[in-house]
Amino acid sequence: MYPKEVEKLLPRVQKPGRYVGGELNSTVKDRADVDVRFAFCFPDTYEIGMSHLGIKILYGAMNQVPYFWCERVFAPWTDMEQLMRENHIPLYALESGDPLTAFDFIGFTLQYELSYTNILNMLDLAGIPLRSEDRPELFNLVVAGGPCACNPEPLADFFDLFFLGDGEEVDLEVMELYRRCKRENKSKKEFLRLAAQIEGVYVPSLYQVEYHEDGTVKSYTPTDGAPATVKKRNMMDLDHTYYPESFPVPMIEVVFDRISVEVLRGCIRGCRFCQAGFLYRPFREKSIDAIDRQCRALCESTGYDEISLASLSTSDYGELFALIDRLHTWTEPDKVSISLPSLRVDNFSPELMERINSVRKTGLTFAPEAGSQRMRDVINKNVTEEELLRTVETAFAEGWNRIKLYFMIGLPTETMEDVLAILELGKKVVDTYYAKKDRPGGRAVEVSLSAAAFVPKPFTPFQWFGQDSGEMLQEKQHNLRGANHSRRISISYHGAETSFLEAVFARGDRKLCRVLEAAFRAGQHFDGWDDCFDFDKWMRAFADCRIDPDFYATRQRPFDEVFPWDHLDYGIRKEFLQRECEKAYRGETTPNCREECSNCGAACFKGGICVEKRAHLV
Amino acid sequence: MKNVRIWFEKKGSARFISHLDLTRCMTRALRLSRLPVWYTQGFNPRVYMAFAMPLSLGAYGEKECMDIRLTEEVPLEDVARRLGERLPEGLPVRGAAEPVYRLEDAAWADYELFLEAGDPAGLMDKLQALLAQETIPVMKHTKKGEREMDIRPYFQGMEIHREEDGVSGRVRLPCSTAGSVNPALLLDALGQYTGEEPLVQITRKGLLTQDFSEFR
Repeated sequence: MYPKEVEKLLPRVQKPGRYVGGELNSTVKDRADVDVRFAFCFPDTYEIGMSHLGIKILYGAMNQVPYFWCERVFAPWTDMEQLMRENHIPLYALESGDPLTAFDFIGFTLQYELSYTNILNMLDLAGIPLRSEDRPELFNLVVAGGPCACNPEPLADFFDLFFLGDGEEVDLEVMELYRRCKRENKSKKEFLRLAAQIEGVYVPSLYQVEYHEDGTVKSYTPTDGAPATVKKRNMMDLDHTYYPESFPVPMIEVVFDRISVEVLRGCIRGCRFCQAGFLYRPFREKSIDAIDRQCRALCESTGYDEISLASLSTSDYGELFALIDRLHTWTEPDKVSISLPSLRVDNFSPELMERINSVRKTGLTFAPEAGSQRMRDVINKNVTEEELLRTVETAFAEGWNRIKLYFMIGLPTETMEDVLAILELGKKVVDTYYAKKDRPGGRAVEVSLSAAAFVPKPFTPFQWFGQDSGEMLQEKQHNLRGANHSRRISISYHGAETSFLEAVFARGDRKLCRVLEAAFRAGQHFDGWDDCFDFDKWMRAFADCRIDPDFYATRQRPFDEVFPWDHLDYGIRKEFLQRECEKAYRGETTPNCREECSNCGAACFKGGICVEKRAHLV
Repeated sequence: MKNVRIWFEKKGSARFISHLDLTRCMTRALRLSRLPVWYTQGFNPRVYMAFAMPLSLGAYGEKECMDIRLTEEVPLEDVARRLGERLPEGLPVRGAAEPVYRLEDAAWADYELFLEAGDPAGLMDKLQALLAQETIPVMKHTKKGEREMDIRPYFQGMEIHREEDGVSGRVRLPCSTAGSVNPALLLDALGQYTGEEPLVQITRKGLLTQDFSEFR
């Protein structure tokens, strides 16, 4: 429930439903009954945060424990923030309405780099000191997890600890440790020292960093008995990993207003640009029984009439048809529809489309990622032009006439010819439509090509790659658009400037903490939103801190450079990534995990596809 | 097929959701209740629901109603209970009954306003002075843009009382598909003519028919 003082502000803001809580299935406990309070903070708006699966899982997992209470906090939109500041109302959690200063843990999920300023803004709005060293007590611990925790160094000064990998168990273990340390009156320092011994916990203050004169990392030295490398936590058996049977159902419409059930974790594909594809290895599937049980439970607790079978690549689920058939036995009579969030070009079939009857026949999206076959080989996107054209032919035959294709520009080894191949591919899709004899009359085909600027990320084979300069990316975009003369094809871009900033922070080090704070002090937040992003202000923040952003984004890094994330272990070996990088430059592809093991290192977790395959070879 | 009128409150957090959000909440709760609700027939069947006059965002609704259709006979108290169990706390169900009037028979609404004030006497004076004006022109935001409107005829009969921590008032205003007057217009006028912007709680007590009988 929101604090009383907020009531006066609500009539004056857009979408006041973002700030009031009170949703069905939200967990309200008695403060007196709980020992540890955790504020789960999503550094973006309510509608985006409430669409996120991770928050639903961890919220449920924590609240299952009687003496833990997890509540939700989202970033207020600029109108509400201004009113809260004017009226001295600190940022509060939606369940109790209590300010963040009342919480033992203030936990953020790091979903993308452009939300970092929102994190600082949220702490500031709560009146919590930004820097870890300015919070000496064992209280108001600021922690984080999520994909960007794989290189948390640009945030290292602000956070007390990071969770690496799957959070279902490690979060609770750290809360349990905190509860014990509180009871034993231990200091924050003692707590952090003990927490660092838990697998999957990284305490940045326990590592001393030395730099070479050129600014690159020389070494990370652990202190106080912290491990030399921190290994991510991995939930091997998804069937027996906690999954919520209910979650708060937003009263206002959110981005993904439906049930999400995760069907698998990881990805077999090994696309060389995709960080998630490496971070979440090994590929692990849930059984049909478990998925069916979880879908039923969530339908019975939320009232939603749509289930999304979520994962990085759901069409790679081994028994997808059997799964959908099983769900249909009850979803059809209950008028529940099933949707798949991501379809691969090479798995799209009329049989699959028949089963996903709910798909509206308006638009269909695929991600070939690159226009030329050469380029697709470089990034290991093992999809051929023939497969794509066959797929769109199927889609046209099934009644679709709008196709959206996602691409990246600025990929390693890319030439202007590769860029223009994006348009060529678009034209072939258009031609495929008009080649069909029995196409319905009166409807024109619409092909939209979306080209995002490539951002090199840690733990990928392209982690050494210097991003294209802004000028180069703009020239490529300009040429691509200039070459298009078809009215059937539209081309859209994703901003080169935001991609540059994303590249800086993705592969940044601790020196960037100062820049982040300076940018925040200059009023930067909601950088992922076009109406808030101000590139010039960011460049001024870099200049004021005497930090060259190109050092992080566009500099080509040598293979022997020590990275700020080398002491974090996601199972994937650096030698493997280097091997993949070299293959990329030679234009060689790597088979997927189902076809052949490429020895990435994830087998150290002793599960998932890494062991299944061995079983099948025996 | 049986028409059932559900009576509920819209309070707390639920005051801040739009009418469209309310219909989505009700749809989910009706699905969860497993009541034999009738779905509209068409390409995208949806749970049939019809409301009387929508309540404006932020207002507390003491006696709101919604009509549904049931395909099988269910005792009315069971309908109320089963739906009520599945709604968020801000939307408690107060009962289910057979409709007496048609939804479009709603014509008036009774409102209660509470204006919080540190100096109730001062606010009382200002409000009285405002209501004593010969005309009270305010800008009304409509779909077609803004237009000026004199609200005095609607508010001149308003009863106001000084309370310990503010001022309360009761007013009956047109509320129908043919046209409604939003009680918040008085607050716009208060701000415009006196500069006062107190914290206000608007409650819609209930609807009435053309001849002022209780809408049932």
